[in-house]
Amino acid sequence: MTSLTAKNLSIGYEERLIVEGLNVSFSKGMITSIIGPNGCGKSTILKTMARLHKAKSGAVYLDGREIHETPTKEIAKKLAVLPQSPEAPAGLTVYELVSYGRTPHQSGFSRLSPHDRKMIDWSLDVTGLSDLKDREVDELSGGQRQRAWIAMAIAQETEILMLDEPTTYLDLAHQLEVLQLLGKINQDEGRTIIMVIHDLNQAARFSHEILALKNGRIISQGTPFDVMKEDIIKGVFGIDTHIIADPRTGKPAMISYDLIK
Amino acid sequence: MNSSNRKFIWTILILSAALLAAGILSLSLGAISIGPLEVLTAFLGKGTSQQELILYNFRLPAIVLAILVGLGMAASGTILQGITRNELADPGILGINAGSGTAVILYITFFQTAAGSLTTMGAFILPLIAFVGALLTGALIMLLSWKKGMDSIRLILVGIGVNAGLSAIIIAQQLRLEPNDFVKAMVWLSGDLWATQWIYVGALLPWMLLLCVYTLFKAHTLNVLNLGSQVSLSLGISATRERIILLIAAAALAGLGVAAGGGIAFLGLIAPHIARRIVGPKHQRLLPAAALIGALVLVLADAIGKNLLTPTEIPAGLVVAVVSVPYFVILLMKSK
Repeated sequence: MTSLTAKNLSIGYEERLIVEGLNVSFSKGMITSIIGPNGCGKSTILKTMARLHKAKSGAVYLDGREIHETPTKEIAKKLAVLPQSPEAPAGLTVYELVSYGRTPHQSGFSRLSPHDRKMIDWSLDVTGLSDLKDREVDELSGGQRQRAWIAMAIAQETEILMLDEPTTYLDLAHQLEVLQLLGKINQDEGRTIIMVIHDLNQAARFSHEILALKNGRIISQGTPFDVMKEDIIKGVFGIDTHIIADPRTGKPAMISYDLIK
Repeated sequence: MNSSNRKFIWTILILSAALLAAGILSLSLGAISIGPLEVLTAFLGKGTSQQELILYNFRLPAIVLAILVGLGMAASGTILQGITRNELADPGILGINAGSGTAVILYITFFQTAAGSLTTMGAFILPLIAFVGALLTGALIMLLSWKKGMDSIRLILVGIGVNAGLSAIIIAQQLRLEPNDFVKAMVWLSGDLWATQWIYVGALLPWMLLLCVYTLFKAHTLNVLNLGSQVSLSLGISATRERIILLIAAAALAGLGVAAGGGIAFLGLIAPHIARRIVGPKHQRLLPAAALIGALVLVLADAIGKNLLTPTEIPAGLVVAVVSVPYFVILLMKSK
């Protein structure tokens, strides 16, 4: 099983330090949601732990190996990361995009092996895109497009899947569609999913663990029941909430919130 | 075989046939006209010795050269558009052609007159100088756009700046030349495909082939780079490293082209554009299609330039520019 851990991580842009001395570890086989107000460093932490951004100091370990000292292709076989609102070139088909997910497993002239094709077909199937595979990505609806990118990321066949705001710009039905898909991938494949998400109720409903951040520091980490507490949410977001157990799912849900007066 | 593969194969076949037809047409045109059928019989060894002399020693090497330069410029433009994710990138716009030109002009002004350098021994040094100029410019753009990695927008902006600066140097230096040299330099800079001898073809061919095969080998990397730096990295491809390597390859391809053909503008821009509309954004298909279109356009431009206003020859580079500008304007008007 693959593990991802950060030790004494400090991250910043230019002179400004966003995260200082962060220690965090993500549980295997779980869905973890990272929540927090704008500018708290959620995306920055996700990107740094996926080696898309370089830390000022400290280190990230994937399976006990420092990620900046591991060949990037080797990491790509264990960890896939989907940045926020990626863009596909015009004219690229869904099948072609998903096939690019096989990149870390290929070499030379990059011909697709039978196993590559099997993984691509499986990814298209799981994401419900089999019928759309010859369509161009930029012709799809927002929800379909996001599923196509997720299909690419899962075709990469990695144990860890990281997503930066996978539901942004989607309407409620499409948001649920994407989250249910991630839940299914986690359940059926046992893949570890780490995502940045804004909606607290969705975080509580779909994840096993929540990491709440403020100003680059961890305020709380634990199950939705541990984190979704009125005083914790007040400390993180500065809002006054009323949290109950969702009658349908039993998970904590926020039914009313307001700014603190 | 799916429909897009079939379309690609047909595109390549049609383009190859068109290139062959354009080549035969161009061979038959000139001060001494040799009909297309006579061209074919001459190649079967049944022509007159005069026809053979004209075809083998003068016209054929010029056409082969136009093909090589066209391939190189188009491949260079395709790579640059791929690594910058911007369809406006091409070796002319990024200043690589101007870099070659600057190197050549500086060489002419400081070391000898153009009249000498364009005829005798200097003719062998000139392509080398142009090639080195292109590579140095590529390195300069890279250096100036480097800021903890290489961002594609910054690369283009820096390239445009470098182009403006180098163009100014070229003009400043040109004004210091003798009138005779000035005209020669001017014609060379407009892309007149001057190196029309087998020896230049021989010098160019192995490098062009090597670079073209290498570029095809990198087709998948270009596909992935098209998804952006972060997705590339997630897929295990270091965007910065690959961009540097591919920028060098693009500069080398353009440098070879400028060395043998002079500054041919716009070809690297329009060839990938047209190809993308036909075969889509996948570089395994885009590169060969763009290269063939580049070769076809340059062979035709060369034939038009040589025969339209005989006995005056218009540099092929100017013909390409005259044809491309309207295409480019239409494209801009149509784009969203």
